[in-house]
Amino acid sequence: MGIITAGKYEGQHPLHPKARQILLDAFDQGWADPTQISSQGRQAQALLLQARESIAKSLNLQVSEIELWGEPELISPIAIWGAPSFGTAPFIYGATERSEIIGMRAKSKQSFEISVGLDGAIDLELLTQTLQPNSIAAIQSANIETGVTQDLKAVAKAVVAQNAHLHIDATASGARFVKPPYWSTLHFDARSWNGPSGVGVFALKNGARWSNPLPHTRPTRAPNSFSIPLALAAASALEHWIADEAANSTRLKSLIERVRNHVKQTIPDVDIAGNAESTLPNIISLSFLNISSEQLVAALEIEGFSVASGSACVASALEPSHVLKAMGLLTHGNMRINLNHDVQDGEITKLLALLPGIISKLREA
Amino acid sequence: MVAELDCRGKRCPLPIIELSKKIKESEVGQEVLLISDDPATAADLNAWARMTGNEFIVISADNFLITKSN
Repeated sequence: MGIITAGKYEGQHPLHPKARQILLDAFDQGWADPTQISSQGRQAQALLLQARESIAKSLNLQVSEIELWGEPELISPIAIWGAPSFGTAPFIYGATERSEIIGMRAKSKQSFEISVGLDGAIDLELLTQTLQPNSIAAIQSANIETGVTQDLKAVAKAVVAQNAHLHIDATASGARFVKPPYWSTLHFDARSWNGPSGVGVFALKNGARWSNPLPHTRPTRAPNSFSIPLALAAASALEHWIADEAANSTRLKSLIERVRNHVKQTIPDVDIAGNAESTLPNIISLSFLNISSEQLVAALEIEGFSVASGSACVASALEPSHVLKAMGLLTHGNMRINLNHDVQDGEITKLLALLPGIISKLREA
Repeated sequence: MVAELDCRGKRCPLPIIELSKKIKESEVGQEVLLISDDPATAADLNAWARMTGNEFIVISADNFLITKSN
């Protein structure tokens, strides 16, 4: 099944088959410690070096700019925490950033939330007014719940004018991320390119100031305790993802457009997050008025679509999605479609044929 | 005369569904006092008002006065 809808924070597609094979081989052979000078250690070191070079190249970064992390969720908080003057200088973040980024405000004496409009775009004027020299700004490349992308070129222009630190959460864009002319730190998660969970990439721009905030005795930028087999699988998955993307990006975009247009035309009272020009080509978020997400999920499940939702009643949280709330969109009756490269056009055709009937039936009940 | 709609203890999206029903049955100009302690209600009322063209004011954390406007 090529369609999934994201859980509260992260959609995860199955591991790419080639990456899975690498992972199995790597675990079968057993992996030596690459810091030891045994022949297996040297082999592991060489493979790891190749993987790092491959990941850097795929993400259009220098090898010296990337570090692999075994606990991807920690990357953004640590990237922000290690920025010069974090804690005393203003910490500025967008209202639709991931919760663990917003949570960093507790560690800063001054923090400012930049609001977003109904289209999900951050208020650039407010950002420009709020920025001060040495501020730390955290702005996402795209949002995992809605697919809404930010105008990073404009953000970078505002941040560079104050010589501030710009951290970009690229976990939703993954390999679709396009570097703006100015940035300081980046966060990627291998899951975004169908790699394994448990591997993330932290990037620090060459020349940018940053220091590892974790206790350490050697001058390292990362703990380097990640799993080597997972790192190799992540590099392989990324290469394959890029090849698949080249073959499928136009198709995914047109499938999402089909969903957008069909839903708009056939179902009244629906909030669709963002617009076609400023959202990722594979994600769409739909919120139906007077619909219980729980019932919607169950009804789609009967038809063979395994979907989830960000609405409070499904995410087993009382609080509704902070992302939909910040955008002023309906938080109930939400479903998110997140397309993988292997989605069949027929799956979307079937979903679109069923959806209007399911919604009107649920609304009548 | 303000109609009262007590949705305390009801979880999202029930308060909005019940409000939609109440408003549908009402005449233009009718005011409805919605009492809801669900944390999604305040956010969803904004979206509901925008989508349906009705108006509301927040009286307190769980009291909302809605006016049927069209």
